[in-house]
Amino acid sequence: MSVVLFFLGLVLAYAGMLGLCLAMDRHWKQLASGLKPGWQRICRPLGWLLLALSLLVAWQIWPPAMAPVGWLGMLSLGGISLLFLLPYQPRLALWLPLAGAPLLLVAGVLG
Amino acid sequence: MAKQPSLTQSMSELHTWAGLVLGWVLFAIFLTGTLAVFDKELNWWMQPELRVTGQTQAEAVQVAEDWLRANHAGASAWNIGLPSERGPDLSVSAGEQRRGERTYLDASTGELVEPRDTAGGSFFFRFHYTLHMGRDLGVWIVGLAAMAMLVAIISGIIIHKKIFKDFFTFRPGKGQRSWLDGHNASAVLLLPFHLMITYTGLVIFFLIYMPAASDALYNGDRQAMFRDLRPGAEQHQPQQGQQGQGQAERGERTQMAERGERSGQGEHVEQATRGEAPARGEGRAPRTVEAPPAQMLPLASFIALGEAHYGAGMLSSVSVSNPDRANAQVEVRPMLGSRIELTKGESMAFNANTGEVTRVSDPSRPTLLTQKVMAGLHFAQFGGYPMRWLYFICGLISCAMIASGLVLYTVKRRRQAKVSATWLRQADWINTTVVAGLMVACVAMLWANRLLPVELAERSEWEQRVFFGSWLLALLHARVRTPARAWIEQLAAAGLLLLTLPLLDRALSASAADVLRLSVDATSAACGVLLLWASWRVARQPAAAERAAPRKAPKPAKPRPEPAGAQS
Repeated sequence: MSVVLFFLGLVLAYAGMLGLCLAMDRHWKQLASGLKPGWQRICRPLGWLLLALSLLVAWQIWPPAMAPVGWLGMLSLGGISLLFLLPYQPRLALWLPLAGAPLLLVAGVLG
Repeated sequence: MAKQPSLTQSMSELHTWAGLVLGWVLFAIFLTGTLAVFDKELNWWMQPELRVTGQTQAEAVQVAEDWLRANHAGASAWNIGLPSERGPDLSVSAGEQRRGERTYLDASTGELVEPRDTAGGSFFFRFHYTLHMGRDLGVWIVGLAAMAMLVAIISGIIIHKKIFKDFFTFRPGKGQRSWLDGHNASAVLLLPFHLMITYTGLVIFFLIYMPAASDALYNGDRQAMFRDLRPGAEQHQPQQGQQGQGQAERGERTQMAERGERSGQGEHVEQATRGEAPARGEGRAPRTVEAPPAQMLPLASFIALGEAHYGAGMLSSVSVSNPDRANAQVEVRPMLGSRIELTKGESMAFNANTGEVTRVSDPSRPTLLTQKVMAGLHFAQFGGYPMRWLYFICGLISCAMIASGLVLYTVKRRRQAKVSATWLRQADWINTTVVAGLMVACVAMLWANRLLPVELAERSEWEQRVFFGSWLLALLHARVRTPARAWIEQLAAAGLLLLTLPLLDRALSASAADVLRLSVDATSAACGVLLLWASWRVARQPAAAERAAPRKAPKPAKPRPEPAGAQS
């Protein structure tokens, strides 16, 4: 169970980082130039929201005092994964958060 | 505005030199520290004679009790190390607990098990803070390196002009540009980890690095300070009994890893911090007069009592003083990690005959708690395996960050005519030896663990000789090869050794594969693939650098960097 939550937290952190990343013009052009520019405006708030959600997940995995420590670790790993996916696999970088959907489902069923 | 360039420049200079000279030491500290996150798992892996029996702690403690009663009936104390998730072995000892005198039992049959003598994962743990230079010199050098790391972090932030703009920027295949990108981004994205791990590392040894304040306050009387730090000490109490002092010492001792653990690794640092040998067995009843025999409750029943207080599965050891006597006392100790605070030495005592609680450890006082929480943050004993993996991967990325900084130095200098070629050559081979050579040495030690004959005298010393010997070989190799060849070959060697380590393990291990061993094997193989990939990238790098060089003019922000990145 906590393994599922752990990966869920990671995916959410990654997705949040992706949101913040897409909010930057340079990366929006790199990843999502085909999409309507209007979407870019919601990327930043959505990114922060997802990061906040990953903190909530961290609170499910760890006791209150430990959760922020683990959360910061997940943020870092999410950001680093994105950093290395961007130049090599930009498409994957964009669609990877969808991997979170089945995780969410599993977590929902189990929890 | 006019001063801006000079500040950046001087900070850049500071960053370069603090980073380069101590970066060599820092890489060794970070790599071994990262391995030490899994020290117990490595300990377990390095003793393939031990096997998982699947007994519960209550069943195991029963086996241990029977064995101790049969073999050490008159002993002053029994100590039992319980099987746990991270180390499923059952160990016992009788009398005052001493390192190296423990006996391993098969938790299901009660038969003796004789695991091989090994340096174990504890070697990496000790190397992490002593660099194998002894406690005094080593701890000081590590402290110096940690200070340099803090300096490098702060100066790095100052000279990084576009922290937020370049937050997610990584442009591979462009020589110096790529190294700088990678160095910057891994440093920035993991900034919380870097700051936390460096600062808390320094705080662990506060008494060594910054003793002035407490020594001035207490006129150098450390014992008086420990008495005040003791839980529940409200005022100066002029005459403290031996018991009180013992508890204060215990509080101090919480700085290092779990007591009663197989390696006894904490003791080195305790002594370093306190400057004296720790008194063992404090808090137990003095064994002057033998009390009359009495019937103890089965030790297994204390597992449940201890778990009620510390949480299920959270116990690490049980000890009994004056077993089978009227004054028998049972102590249970928790594993580290039920909270962030490093709770080493904490225990709970029971009357062994009635089961009544005789002592519970009080919460730490705020000052000590602060220090212990910071130490706990560094030791990463809390939060279970998810947290452990986070620390491990963050540690690996930190290593990569330091290594990329070291490489960046030579890559950048190579393009500047003013730097002497001789110095650059020196920096090159030191870089290779420190980064790739150390990785080869670490894997070589794991190989030696399986290949050295089991009955070899001084076996654990021989493992360490293999470690330093292969490091020395890597140094010689780096000196005779060209820098690029040295990197490629050493990275490939480390990668191959790691990748094939699981085969060696499976081929030579008598034990059945268990989850812990297989996890070590799998992690090793994964790291091996990563290093082989790195070696392959370095092998292709000169071509990539040449390709990048002609179109020197950096592209304006407008065109997509995507195709350039994708093709390289």
